[in-house]
Amino acid sequence: MSATLFGQSVLSGIFAGSLYALMGLGMSLSWRYLRVINIAHFGLVFLAAYMTYEFAGVRGFSALAVALLLIPLFFMLGVIQQVLILRFNVNEFSSLIVTYGLAIIAEAVIQLIWSADFVRYENRALHGNVEVGTLLLPMADILLVVIAVGLCVATWAAMRFTWLGKALRAGLDNPAIAAAFGVPNQRLLLLVSGFSAALAAVAGVFVALLYTLAPSQILSWLGVVFAAVLLGGLGNPLGLLAAGMLIGVSEAITMAVTAPSWAPVVPFTILILLLVLWPQRV
Amino acid sequence: MLKADAVCVGYGEALALSNISFDLGPGELVAIIGPNGAGKTTLVNALARLLPIRSGGILLDGENIARLTPQQLADRGVAIIPEGRRLFTSMTVEENLELGCYRAAARAHKREGLEQAYAMFPILGERRRQISGTLSGGQQQMVAFARALMARPRLLLIDEPSLGLAPVIIKQVFETIARIHATGVSILLIEQNATKALEAAQRAYVLDCGQMIASGTPDELRQRPEIGAAYLGHGH
Ligand SMILES: Nc1ncnc2c1ncn2[C@@H]1O[C@H](COP(=O)(O)OP(=O)(O)OP(=O)(O)O)[C@@H](O)[C@H]1O
Ligand SMILES: [Mg+2]
Repeated sequence: MSATLFGQSVLSGIFAGSLYALMGLGMSLSWRYLRVINIAHFGLVFLAAYMTYEFAGVRGFSALAVALLLIPLFFMLGVIQQVLILRFNVNEFSSLIVTYGLAIIAEAVIQLIWSADFVRYENRALHGNVEVGTLLLPMADILLVVIAVGLCVATWAAMRFTWLGKALRAGLDNPAIAAAFGVPNQRLLLLVSGFSAALAAVAGVFVALLYTLAPSQILSWLGVVFAAVLLGGLGNPLGLLAAGMLIGVSEAITMAVTAPSWAPVVPFTILILLLVLWPQRV
Repeated sequence: MLKADAVCVGYGEALALSNISFDLGPGELVAIIGPNGAGKTTLVNALARLLPIRSGGILLDGENIARLTPQQLADRGVAIIPEGRRLFTSMTVEENLELGCYRAAARAHKREGLEQAYAMFPILGERRRQISGTLSGGQQQMVAFARALMARPRLLLIDEPSLGLAPVIIKQVFETIARIHATGVSILLIEQNATKALEAAQRAYVLDCGQMIASGTPDELRQRPEIGAAYLGHGH
């Protein structure tokens, strides 16, 4: 394998890994702090991707403006979802089924509005490439890496250093005592679910920028993002970022040296090795 | 400052506390003693609003707090040192203390509070970055005390502070309670260790089987033969 091919593979792995981390961040937080294994997250990602396609692609609004509108809108959707989950006493296991159902509903809604055909959003502003030596870096991918790394690092720092982050961790350790010291547990959990859904909106904008969309693809990221979330450690944004990159780069190199069809084997091999060799991690 | 009037608390059908009445004046240190399973922790948790109250009233400075949330109670200056410390065990010592002053009114005093806490418990200053769950029992109890003090409480609810600690540590714990009391904080001290609690308290109540069966000054209680025999180990 030539150095250029290798370099290009590593780069595309980093791009893919950034998207895994960006999609996984909301899942990881809601799994850890809400005890909700949120499959509906992928429904939200695609809903945001289609809305980006619709408003920025078909109707010609600026993609940035669409993103800035989607974020608060999805925040509210996330809050509503969590209110319902609390209202109906959904536990960790049943959340898997309930949110899977929500993802299927999202798929049906998307198919109803946008049909089952492939659609593609072309963004001219982010169309170019940056050339570094013999390597090509697409603008949209560079932006993705910056946003994904930025959000993961910012979330890590917020969990570690802010009142909000400390209150959330305290609530996880001991909700009753946290409440006795004034921590409003329920409200913080709604904030987490809103934030998690807002992250789905951001991820969705990038899915629209980078991929051809079809409703049937909603759950196609599920396995690899699950692997990144578990490998990174629940509620651990930096671990997630590293895991996403590791999986993305391993996949890309596997594809370059073998065949593309081998790529999906990589995240699960890593995940199974993790489960076998380091079970207490999960 | 605190007055309970015919408070009943239950778990499901069963009544764990029936018609509990007591009062605690400003700056007073009142003990509630009683054997295993008497309902002491139930009472503390109900007072801290962590358990629902079935009937009866609890007045804090004249306001009925029986229906408040734990957060609202914290805002009124009540802090708890729960049975078994119940620290935020995955968090550092300093983070535990910070959580103590989470409520808005206490937050402004964080730095001052930390300085005072580390002056009172120097070992905690040395271990401020250590995960609290890895401390020894006595040190964890210091964190629980420091965390509660960070809230700048007017009223402190202390549940079984001597539980599971060596006698020499228990002595230090009671010295700490006396020091906190000397700063003007009102204290409700719940203890199974009646001897120690009666030494510390100005007045005491005896709780057994979910009912208040006696009250008085420590001297009065010690002189009552049935109390001495049952709770203080004065064999005859
Ligand atoms: N969560 C609960 N559910 C049902 N019953 C409970 C619960 N907690 C306590 N009880 C019962 O309520 C009664 C009082 O318990 P509580 O823990 O208040 O006693 P205590 O005086 O604090 O005892 P100890 O000295 O062991 O701490 C006991 O009979 C106990 O079995
Ligand atoms: Mg108890």
